[in-house]
Amino acid sequence: MKRLFKGGEIATEDSPKLTRVDVLVEDGKIVQVAPGIAAGEGTEVVDCTGKVILPALFDVHVHAREPGQEQKENILTCSEAAINGGVVGFVMMPNTAPAIDTAGVVKTVLESARKCRIPLYTSGAITKGREGKELAAIGAMKAAGAVMITDDGYPVSNPVVLRRAMEYAKNFDLILASHCETMELSGKGSMHEGKVSYSLGLEGIPAISEEICLDRDIRIAQYTGAHVHIQHVTTARGMNTIRRFKEEGVKVTCEIAPHHLIFNHEDIRDYDTSYKMNPPLRTPEDNTLLLQGLIDGVFDVIATDHAPHTEFEKKNDFQSAPFGITGLETALPCLYDRFMSKGVFGWDVIVKRYSAEPRRIIKLPPVPVVEGGVAEFIVFDPNGSTTFTKEFMKSKSSNTPFLNQTLKGSVDVVVLKDEVLLNR
Amino acid sequence: MTPRKDLLDIQSLTDEELEFILSNAVPFKNLFKRSVKKVPTLKGRTVLTLFYEPSTRTRSSFEIAASRLSADVTNFSVSTSSVVKGESVLDTVATLEAMRTDYVVVRHSMSGIPNLIAKHTNASVINAGDGFHAHPTQGLLDVFTMREVFGGDVRGARVAFIGDIQHSRVARSTNLLCRRMGMQTAMLAPGSLIPRELPQEIAVFQDWKELYAWKPDVIYLLRVQTERQNVPFFPSIGEYHRLFGLTDERLKWARDNGIWVMHPGPVNRGVELTDSVMEYERSLIDQQVENGIAVRMSVLYWLKPGSSTEDKP
Repeated sequence: MKRLFKGGEIATEDSPKLTRVDVLVEDGKIVQVAPGIAAGEGTEVVDCTGKVILPALFDVHVHAREPGQEQKENILTCSEAAINGGVVGFVMMPNTAPAIDTAGVVKTVLESARKCRIPLYTSGAITKGREGKELAAIGAMKAAGAVMITDDGYPVSNPVVLRRAMEYAKNFDLILASHCETMELSGKGSMHEGKVSYSLGLEGIPAISEEICLDRDIRIAQYTGAHVHIQHVTTARGMNTIRRFKEEGVKVTCEIAPHHLIFNHEDIRDYDTSYKMNPPLRTPEDNTLLLQGLIDGVFDVIATDHAPHTEFEKKNDFQSAPFGITGLETALPCLYDRFMSKGVFGWDVIVKRYSAEPRRIIKLPPVPVVEGGVAEFIVFDPNGSTTFTKEFMKSKSSNTPFLNQTLKGSVDVVVLKDEVLLNR
Repeated sequence: MTPRKDLLDIQSLTDEELEFILSNAVPFKNLFKRSVKKVPTLKGRTVLTLFYEPSTRTRSSFEIAASRLSADVTNFSVSTSSVVKGESVLDTVATLEAMRTDYVVVRHSMSGIPNLIAKHTNASVINAGDGFHAHPTQGLLDVFTMREVFGGDVRGARVAFIGDIQHSRVARSTNLLCRRMGMQTAMLAPGSLIPRELPQEIAVFQDWKELYAWKPDVIYLLRVQTERQNVPFFPSIGEYHRLFGLTDERLKWARDNGIWVMHPGPVNRGVELTDSVMEYERSLIDQQVENGIAVRMSVLYWLKPGSSTEDKP
């Protein structure tokens, strides 16, 4: 089977410049990348005129909610949501019910993942039940296929337990991903502590809740020599701490979620629970500085923290509603709409931070659109637009501030080897 | 003036609406001097009080206000309702909607619950206090009371809020309204009870000496809400009273300088204030209670329930 993707421009991680070439795919491989490729007999031609061809996206932070919370999402619906957003592969978080904290649960989850159209990966918990007390079966989970360990949703509050986990994970060359939060400081907070939380009368989560834990976790990583990956950074001060430790040579990587670049606490109006997430939306100043951090490379990866919840749960009052928004389907259009279409950064940032580096972090090779490479790319139409209606979205949940909004850009085609997973 | 369905906070009120509510409260208060204190304004209308938090003063105030406007008043007793069986707020609202209530007066320990209810009912929703967020009718009655003592013009008056600013919805609403009306405001509290960031630039004092120097016209004492403090915010009630309470000595200063004293109630005697304040000639505490009824009558008169706007009196 041959397919010729004609007239598009290819994005790479090395340069913001796009290259106008045609891409010929045969039997799941990219066999030719060159200008003016003629379509041979029996070749299906996909018109990509005016569109961008880029390596498929990869997300290291996704809540697929299976097992146990399938009313919100399951692995299959989550994978379809991913395809809808141009994401071909992600790492599931272990805060399920039960938690993914044994080899058995890892195997069960990966068994479900095999029914999906894209390859999926799972993390395992650091501690049993994500309770922060006893180490989970880290070695067994790695052997069963876990690619990362994390207690995401909670920090490992006890520094001794975290130290032991890091020391132990090193044996298995496993990255330890850290949700940084000082629970005592967060208390019952439901949004960033600041003038908006005061006005709304909501208890706040102070920035120091995240910053203190982040500093502690990286120092423990420095001490143990382990690789720590800081999840969903939200404060400029925390980002600068990471920058400093990186300069010192500590093995630390970190991620930024699109919503922490785009929204801030001033967007929380009339108790709209679409803006309730943990860590919370911070300040407009943080938006600006975090964006700069993405451009200058402090952030290794973009990750959505896709966190589906039912409409019923999110319809609750702000304090009672759960934290989290969906992100897999909106990530690329929202980044394009808010930043790239305005020239804030180029396609190289997306390719590097939302495709190549996320794969490298879990030791997968990147999938550049080059001759001899595997065909794993998407076609994005910068002149198109996407309206995020419930009908459009494949996730079971639609808890996103972008619901019923139209953003510039559209993921038109998703290719994985010999299959066209999406063709709008 | 565009009809308004709900009163949820102070921020959303326009200057015109504020003036409408405050000026209409005057004739309603004049009614209280008559032997028959009732007018037929809301005859045939139903006002339902939905209090998820215990309250005697505010609920009674709304009930009296509604009955003086001839509305039928029902108290939805939350503790004995299906709420204790796990019914959600929105389930309760659906029930109320089916009862075709015209006004719902809500108090809840969670901020934003009145906003949530307002979105799901045609009835006019009045926020009677939600979490730390807002208590708009308290703010209105406080400013109404200040207008009375300052002869109508409150611009330039200096009001100092003293006490648990962090957890006080009264401080939020009354302070906001004072500033809207051109008053100057300041705060005095233990550092642990002052919010880290305030939406406006407000003078924050560390002790009474600084407050004396500022020369306030009104000191507004806030109730210390120990029930909201999961970690102690100050060492002891005794220390709080000594350092931040209106003691006999400070009351003498107030008397010597002709300073008005306000408190939203209920008063914690021996904590925010000394017993003697209750007899202080410039204490406005009872006047606040009386004015609360007039202002709430004015609010009920002003709002237009969504389902029955065509025949609003």
